[in-house]
Amino acid sequence: MTAPRPPDGSSAAASLAALARRLSAALQLSEPMRDDQLSVAVDVAVVVLDAKAASIALHDPAADRLRFVAAAGPAAGGVLGLEIESGVGIAGYAFTTGQPLAVADVTSDPRFDSRVAEATGYVPRSILATPLIDDLGTVGVLEVLDRSGDGGFSMRDLDVAGAIARGATAAVRAGRAERDAGALLRRALVATARSVDDETLDEAAIEELVRDAVEPLTDDPDDPTWRLAERIARLRTVDPDSVELAVEWLDALLRRGNRGPGHGARVADGR
Amino acid sequence: MTTSLPAWSEAFAGPARPALERVLPLGPMDRRAVFGDADGTGVLVVIVDSGVDGENPAVGGRLRQRLRVELDEEEARVVVDPEASDLVGHGTACAGIVHALAPAAELVSLRVLGSDNRGKGRAVAAAVDWAIEAEAQVVNLSLSSRSESMFATFHELADRAYFANTLLVCAANNIPGPSYPSTFAAVISVAAHDVADPWTWYYNPSPPVEFGAYGVDVDVAWRDGGRIRATGNSFAAPHMAGLAALLRSRHPAASPFEIKALLAATANVTG
Repeated sequence: MTAPRPPDGSSAAASLAALARRLSAALQLSEPMRDDQLSVAVDVAVVVLDAKAASIALHDPAADRLRFVAAAGPAAGGVLGLEIESGVGIAGYAFTTGQPLAVADVTSDPRFDSRVAEATGYVPRSILATPLIDDLGTVGVLEVLDRSGDGGFSMRDLDVAGAIARGATAAVRAGRAERDAGALLRRALVATARSVDDETLDEAAIEELVRDAVEPLTDDPDDPTWRLAERIARLRTVDPDSVELAVEWLDALLRRGNRGPGHGARVADGR
Repeated sequence: MTTSLPAWSEAFAGPARPALERVLPLGPMDRRAVFGDADGTGVLVVIVDSGVDGENPAVGGRLRQRLRVELDEEEARVVVDPEASDLVGHGTACAGIVHALAPAAELVSLRVLGSDNRGKGRAVAAAVDWAIEAEAQVVNLSLSSRSESMFATFHELADRAYFANTLLVCAANNIPGPSYPSTFAAVISVAAHDVADPWTWYYNPSPPVEFGAYGVDVDVAWRDGGRIRATGNSFAAPHMAGLAALLRSRHPAASPFEIKALLAATANVTG
């Protein structure tokens, strides 16, 4: 058995480009999955904690602000998309200190500061806030408003919210890891393209090469390739017989496409 | 749910409390004899938090200084807090709890939160360093750092504080993973119980969280002169800080380990 030869610059670039296309496809498919997981987290928080609303805000390090990206419950109102300062208020405290807490009777103090309440028009009576935190740091905060009944949130509620927050944190981390991998891949593509001994590859050509590898699938969500990719992604959940049938169809389409220009060729080409 | 959650407070919850019972090596001690008529006279308590509103009646005019940590790339400095405010209300809540138990203790607010340092571990470390140098007898830390990179810094600080006679009282974090310095043996680590009495505290023979204090639905001072009901380990910690302040005023020569032993020996009996 001979050791594989190290790839030269051209084949490495080709491999990276292929990897970039696959990652680009994975990102396009996984981003909604992350949002789905955060939506599930806030849904669960509302049901399990019997609350009027639950929301998740993620930290934007560049702006140092918390942005609400998921919300559920009858009092969630217009919190989605709202941005607040990262160190202010009860959510800000949980975020900056990593310490979960709950407060009640906030409306008894007319000067109670809640940017969220002002923005959404809903003034809560009680608030629970717990950080989205793991060993790598804090990525956001889960906020739950108004437990049903007279009492506020209990220590048990804080624990339950903490468990929900841990699941949400894992979802956020997974999404970010993929994005980080995308950025890393882009840098690797640029570096590899520069290392290829080809005078025609000036900076503009390299940029075009990288763009061709990374971006074509993300520009247009209605691109037929996405529809194909989504269908292929769904195949992961179906039984082996159906997968075999689908492969036979694809095979027939490809053979038809190879015979000459036509609809099948356009689908297979992805453009 | 009860067994899978990493809730340090679980040990202090009603049904679990009998398990805290143990035979004290020195036997339980009489609280009246140990605490006497101590009121915190001559004791300096530093509140490392979101700031303290010195005008809040709950603080009783005992706030001697308002400081904050100023961070830049190179170093962390403790400076006079020009805003002199509490960004959240949380620090005022902690100060109010300490004052209610030890009314003659002097308080210093050392703010580590805010947009300038975002509650970074480095700021908390600088605050603890300042408290040691200022020969504070008690420091209330209702926050902690999860950064592994801060392990050595906080370990060194906790040991320095211990040998310098500065007692660190830290809120335990209910979230699994590192939490410095609350998990170190040299500090007093506190979780919450739900017995509505500031004078009820428990000793837990299963570390790292050794003490349980009142932290559920606590009526606390908040920002701008208001009051709210709050839940969290971060409201339990200042109860132990207040009790420690009493002991330090009653037994000025006692070292941190002796104060901890006295708090264990006078803890409520369970079972």
